[in-house]
Amino acid sequence: MGVALLMIFLISIPFYATDYWITLLVQILIFTVYASGWNLFSGLTGYTNFGLAWFIGVSGYASSLLIADYQWHWLFAWPIGALFISIISIGVGVILLRIKGVYFAISMVALTEGTRELFGTEYLEPLTHGGKGVPFVAGISLATLYWSVLLLAFLTILICYKITSSKFGLRLIAIREDEQAAETLGIHTTRAKIIAFVLSAFLTGLAGAIHFTYQNYIDPSFGFTIHLTLTPIVMTLFGGVGTVFGPAIGATLFTFIHEILWAELTLLYMAIFGGILILLILFFPQGVLGWMKEKGILPKIRKI
Amino acid sequence: MNQQPLLSVEDVVKKFGEVAALDHCSFDIEKGSITGLIGPNGAGKTTLFNLITGVLQPDSGHVFFKGEEITGKKPYEIARKGIGRTYQIIRIFPKMTLLENLIVVGKGRERKVMEKAIELLHLVRLIEKKDHYASDLSFGQQKLLSLAQVLMLDAELILLDEPAAGINPTLQNELMALIHQLNEAGKTFIIVEHDMSVIMNHCQNAIALNYGQKIAEGNCRLILEDESLLEHYFGR
Repeated sequence: MGVALLMIFLISIPFYATDYWITLLVQILIFTVYASGWNLFSGLTGYTNFGLAWFIGVSGYASSLLIADYQWHWLFAWPIGALFISIISIGVGVILLRIKGVYFAISMVALTEGTRELFGTEYLEPLTHGGKGVPFVAGISLATLYWSVLLLAFLTILICYKITSSKFGLRLIAIREDEQAAETLGIHTTRAKIIAFVLSAFLTGLAGAIHFTYQNYIDPSFGFTIHLTLTPIVMTLFGGVGTVFGPAIGATLFTFIHEILWAELTLLYMAIFGGILILLILFFPQGVLGWMKEKGILPKIRKI
Repeated sequence: MNQQPLLSVEDVVKKFGEVAALDHCSFDIEKGSITGLIGPNGAGKTTLFNLITGVLQPDSGHVFFKGEEITGKKPYEIARKGIGRTYQIIRIFPKMTLLENLIVVGKGRERKVMEKAIELLHLVRLIEKKDHYASDLSFGQQKLLSLAQVLMLDAELILLDEPAAGINPTLQNELMALIHQLNEAGKTFIIVEHDMSVIMNHCQNAIALNYGQKIAEGNCRLILEDESLLEHYFGR
């Protein structure tokens, strides 16, 4: 009931809200998908993915190039971008998901940086436009874009909900808790990790495609910036790692706080923002939802 | 021999650098037995468990389970074939509830898995704590939970690495009684244990390892009375 009312409210927003608010919500929703996508893999399996920007950038590039150079309709370019990154992720997952801990994290950073360099080289210029970037117009209205990303965010959270409360989700959590023990208890850990990794790539990639359509532009330093990796991680930590709604709550709170600080205290906002982050991580390492579960405000179940 | 052994370890070698943790080790385990695996620290007992369960691969030699070669198979494949194990250092899933710790292992329909998990929690007497995190349990209770996980797997052969170590005598007796009960129901056990009274009282056979070599095998009492073994074991 509450969910239905919230959805009706969110769907109706473009009919009366100003572009400023719609834009802000588009950002929140895109980052909700990024954070949820990150959480779906890293929050559950404990494999910290520092290459979220790689999912976003590759899919963003694929879809942007299809729209800019091949005159594809955005509706088809987006899923093709997401499928493209998903397929590559299978190969990358098979290779990199054997590596544990900090080494996996660093490999993903290296992969992202390497891809960024590659996309900017003159050798690939005929395909990627090199360092000049890809300006384009997809011919989509802000309202349609908003509804698209709203639908995606809704489906993403639904998928996270289904997975987290399923046996597959428990297997992912078991990998986080003790991968070798999980393996000797008959869990095909490699397969579970790859499925989660690729699903994360698909959802994040889809949001990435929408993101750059919304920006009407992509270039290597913009498409693969470390901010696209770090911001969703911080949002997830903020909302609650491994929870269903934590990333969405994190993305919302984070974006608002960011917006207010930026508007009111332009010069100091990074300093204050950093301070808030440090305090949060010191005192609420389990995030907003984790804290509420611990205090008994919310039941301790995986479905939240 | 009219019956095929449940598990056959044949001439297994495993080296860590120059040191042979297992040096041409062979033995058979009969279905329905409880076998003690004894030997001083570093004799290769845990390495042997790791080789049987696929956590490590032998440098040479073979492992057969129910006549089928399982050498080189992945741990999850071996587990699904029916070999379960517990670890010397308990390795349950701490931030999962007891029920989740069992459900995650189960195969098949959700309702059946749930029923079985509940039944096993009754069996190990942890049912009241089913919704607690496993990290809330005492050390001994965690050992029971880890045994329940192996039972959830429906393993025919269960390898227990020091099941009785570090738990109070009451719980120890409960645990051993449970092992006998399961043994009567058809489960086969290999138990690594330092406490010789546990081996004497609960195992029919024993295998003694030293420096990765099998130095004795057979009836528990006979082995433990063997002078040369005791010499090895206690360093007399």
